This record gives sequence, structure tokens and C-alpha cells, in this order.
Amino acid sequence: MNAALRQFRNFFVSLQLTVVLLIMSLVLVFVATLDQVNLGIWAVQEKYFRSLFVLWPVPNTSFAIPVFPGGYLVGGFLLVNLIAAHVYRFRLSWKKTGILLAHTGLILLLVGELLSGLMQKDSSMQLQEGETKKYSESFREYELAVLDKTNADYDDVVAIPEAVLADKAVVQHPKLPFQVRIKEYFPNSTVQMRDANSPSTPGVTGIGARVALIPLPVTSKPDETNVPGTYVELVAPDGTLGTWLVSPALGMPQSVNYQGRAWEISLRLKRYYQPFSLSLLKVTNDVYPGTDIPKNFASRVRVRDDAGHNDREVNIFMNNPLRFGGMTFYQYQMNAAQHMSVFEVVRNPSWILPYIACGMMGAGLLFQFGLSLAGFIGKRSKAKS
Amino acid sequence: MTSRRLATPALLVSLLLVAGCRDREVTAYRAPKDPPPVAMPAAALEGTNNLPSDHPPIDAGGGGPAAPAPAMANTPVPTAGGTGLAWTAPAEWTAKALSAMRKGSFSVKGDGGEADLSITAFPGNTGGLEANLNRWRGQVGLPAQSPAEVTAATEKIDSGNLQFLLVDYGNHGSRLVGAILPYDGNTWFFKLLGPDALVARTKPAFLDFLRTVKPAK
Repeated sequence: MNAALRQFRNFFVSLQLTVVLLIMSLVLVFVATLDQVNLGIWAVQEKYFRSLFVLWPVPNTSFAIPVFPGGYLVGGFLLVNLIAAHVYRFRLSWKKTGILLAHTGLILLLVGELLSGLMQKDSSMQLQEGETKKYSESFREYELAVLDKTNADYDDVVAIPEAVLADKAVVQHPKLPFQVRIKEYFPNSTVQMRDANSPSTPGVTGIGARVALIPLPVTSKPDETNVPGTYVELVAPDGTLGTWLVSPALGMPQSVNYQGRAWEISLRLKRYYQPFSLSLLKVTNDVYPGTDIPKNFASRVRVRDDAGHNDREVNIFMNNPLRFGGMTFYQYQMNAAQHMSVFEVVRNPSWILPYIACGMMGAGLLFQFGLSLAGFIGKRSKAKS
Repeated sequence: MTSRRLATPALLVSLLLVAGCRDREVTAYRAPKDPPPVAMPAAALEGTNNLPSDHPPIDAGGGGPAAPAPAMANTPVPTAGGTGLAWTAPAEWTAKALSAMRKGSFSVKGDGGEADLSITAFPGNTGGLEANLNRWRGQVGLPAQSPAEVTAATEKIDSGNLQFLLVDYGNHGSRLVGAILPYDGNTWFFKLLGPDALVARTKPAFLDFLRTVKPAK
């Protein structure tokens, strides 16, 4: 092995690297915690932990320069460091089985977090008693939904994510007989009725002519949400169909007919459709007798998959989620007076990894400490005799 | 060994890129229809009379799903009070579920397409005749007209003591035939909207249908 390669290896197996990386993680967690005041928990996770570098936007420019390694980089180096140390430094012996087990658990935990970060999707499903849904909705992300409502039994949907709206892009989709041109997009906005006297927005069709779309600063407070708003023009080969103001705050989609087909456009929370449906049968909200203190929140639901293999009733309550079709449904919110229940829906293919990792680390530590204890007791009894 | 070392970061970066791209993907799928909204918030129909009549009020909150069910779900919607109207629809029209806004709702099928007939009623003049007619023009993609132009293109239909104002708007293969009836302090809207040919063919039946409209006993 030549010197350069050896140096490279020594860098990755060194304990100093471990210490530096652990200190970096501490700094990262500390600064991110403070920055939550400015950014809120979601943006902080993206900026500090689910990134390779923490970026600092240079004021008055569109550039951002990396100022500190992000969570993925620190975590990735820790992972490589740990694996490299095992490969080059540790020698396998049964006395070190515990350490090996605990470290493998740690590796699994790091890998699990990386996979969760990349693959986990959180959404929510709100159901009234008696209601059935086949989709959950994102907590924060919106989409521009263009629906062909012509068929009486189903809708054909083309969903355009917010990121595309933000680029003010022109979307030409094979399923649409017209182009969707995003003329204006505000990440946070509100709508207000215009005065009876004020002129309507020129060139805007439908309700938008009587409503004003007012841009707002983007909020990061945990109890506030951003409500995007956009102006959308539909352009067919034979000319424009019109420009619409589209906002979730309008409370209702806007319709247009073209070539005998009925279309609807709306800005709605991003939907995730599933090959199964959930019906809410009953919500239960028990309180301790004589008090308002909740004792039990439970939702009785019916799960039916499209293939017809599954049709069963399940109780979902605190710490007893429903796992079905690769998703986990947690009891999230409830309003028993209005017979309404909300589930948090988590799709995380690697959900089992942290459990296995913790089990391995626990077993490893137990074994290692047990071994030391046994040795210690053995020595003491030998000394006594 | 170097290539093995580089493999991990390379894999990491490519995973991140793939994850990043997924959020920009325009998706297309077929989905079951949403049920019609059960109840609508009230407030805006009062006072803000420049809202279209069949439009729910504007709620700036927007709100995520984290917000509990709207409190206004229990509030009655200020649709028309006073006495109602009754009608007889042809047997081939399919009655659809009524919503808080719709007093009557039918589906008219033919030519492989479907037209929607909605009957709604609201107190007062709901923003004025011209505004409502221009709103209907907008629904088939026609530009708004001046009050004089838009009222000139209406046709009066008498049926007993009731007088409807009839309009017929067609554009881009779609057609809207609608009738507006002021009755007992409320304004009633009868709107047939769908593919051009189907609506044009259904128009005589729609006119016959209007003549069956009577004060409810």
C-alpha cells in the first residue's frame, strides 16, 4: 500500500475523526435548536440535518455558500469512520462480541435515519364518521390539480407540484389538451373580496375577477401555515381559455369546459392515493369519570383493499397504530363532538430498522457489561477464598 | 480500494438527487370522485353580495389538515328562505345527491357525455343579473360583456305567474343553458352545463322542464 493510500485509510479509521465528528454533531444540534426560533422545526430539519452542507444565502444575491457540514455529511462520515474502524482496527473475539453488536446497532441506526430521511413521507387523513377515503394529504405541500370531471364514475387527475409552480413553468402534459402556464405564484398569500367599486382584475376569468390575491411573507411559525396562491392560464392550440386565480382559500375548484369535456382546476394539499380505502365507523373519546381528562381516544375503522383480499375492522388508538399496505396510521387528532378523527399517515419502508438497531445495541451492552460483571465477581470470589 | 471508498459518497449523492427530483414530478392518475361537500361555511353569502351565487364563501385561513374540523360545519347556510318551488323532471334524467347549495341536481347523459343540471336559490338579487350572467359566460370561457350587451341577449319565458330569463352560451364545444327566476324575495338559478351537442339537444326538454316549475304547496 502506498503512503497516500495509507494516509487516506488512517484518516478514516482514526479516533480523532470520530471525536471531531461528534463535536460537529453537537454544534449542529445546538445551532439548529436556536435557529428553530427563526425557521420553525420543518425548515430547520431540511437546512441542518437533511442536507450535505448548511448553506448561507449571500444577501442580495441568489447564491448560497456552504458554511458548515450538514447532517448527511457528518452522519455519512461517522458511518464510514465506524465501518472503517471495524474493518481495520477491531479483531474478532468472543469477548468483544458485545461491542461489535452495539456498534453494528449504531451503524444500522445511522443507515435507518438516512433511509427515513430519503424515503419517509408523512401525511394526514381526516375523516368524518361514515366517510371513506382512498387518499391522505400532505401537511404542508400543495399541488395544482387539473381534473377531467367528464366521466361520471371517476376523475382523471394531472397533479403539478408546488416546486414547478414556483418556477412559473409552462406545463405541457400528454393527458391535457391545453398548456398550463403559471403566470404568478406566491408561496404564502390570502384572498380578499374586492370592494363593490374597485375594478376587477383584467384578464382574469371566474371568481378571480372579484377577488384580490394578496402575497404574504412566508411564515415558519408552527401554528401557522403557508397558503400558496397562483394565477394560471390555460392555452389550447386554438387560443387561450382564460386566466384563473387559484388558491386553496377559495374553498372550491374553478371549472372550465373545453371540447365538450368538463375541467376543474384547484390548488389543494398534495394527495397520496392508496390502493385501499379507510372508512371511519366510530370515534370514542372516554374521559375519567367526573373530569374532562381524556382517558382513551380510539377510532374504529374499516380497511378495504381494491383487490378484495382484505376487508376488516380495526381499532386505532394511542400507541396502537394500524399498519397496512406499507403505511402506518397513528391516531393524531380527534373531535368527538363533531364525530371527526385525524390520522397521521407515515410511509417509511425502513421503520423497523431503529427497533432492530436498539435491540442490537441493548443486547450488545448487556452482554459486554454482563461479561465485566461476571469477571469482577469471579475475581472477588477468588480473592476471598 | 479507492473506488470502494468513493462508492459510498457517490451512492449517497445519487440517492439525494433522486429524492430531490421526485418532488418536481408532474403526475397523472385516475381517482374516484370526491363526495360533494357536506356543509359549507356561511358568513360570506351575507353582506358580500358580489360573490357568485353558487360559490362558497372565501376563507382566508385555508388551513392544513392539522386544523380541526371546521367549526362552521354546524352553522346553517343562508340559502333561500321563504316559500319553495317544485318541479317534475323527465324520467331519463338521473337525480343526484343534493348539497347544502343545491335545491335540485340532475345528471343528463347522452352521446357518451354528461351534462349537469343544478338548481340553486339565494336571498336577494345575489349581486345583480349582469354579474351573474357574466359569471355564467366565464364558465364556458366567454369574455364578460357590458350590462347592456349581456341583458340584451336574454329571452323571457313565461310560465303561469313565473317569468324566467333564459340565456344560451356556447363556446369551445361546451354549452350552458340557464334560467334565472326572481321569486318571493329570492333568486333561483337553473343551470344546464355540458358538451355542446348534448346540451343543445336537451334544450327543448329543459324548457319543458322549466314550465313544470310551480310554487311548492
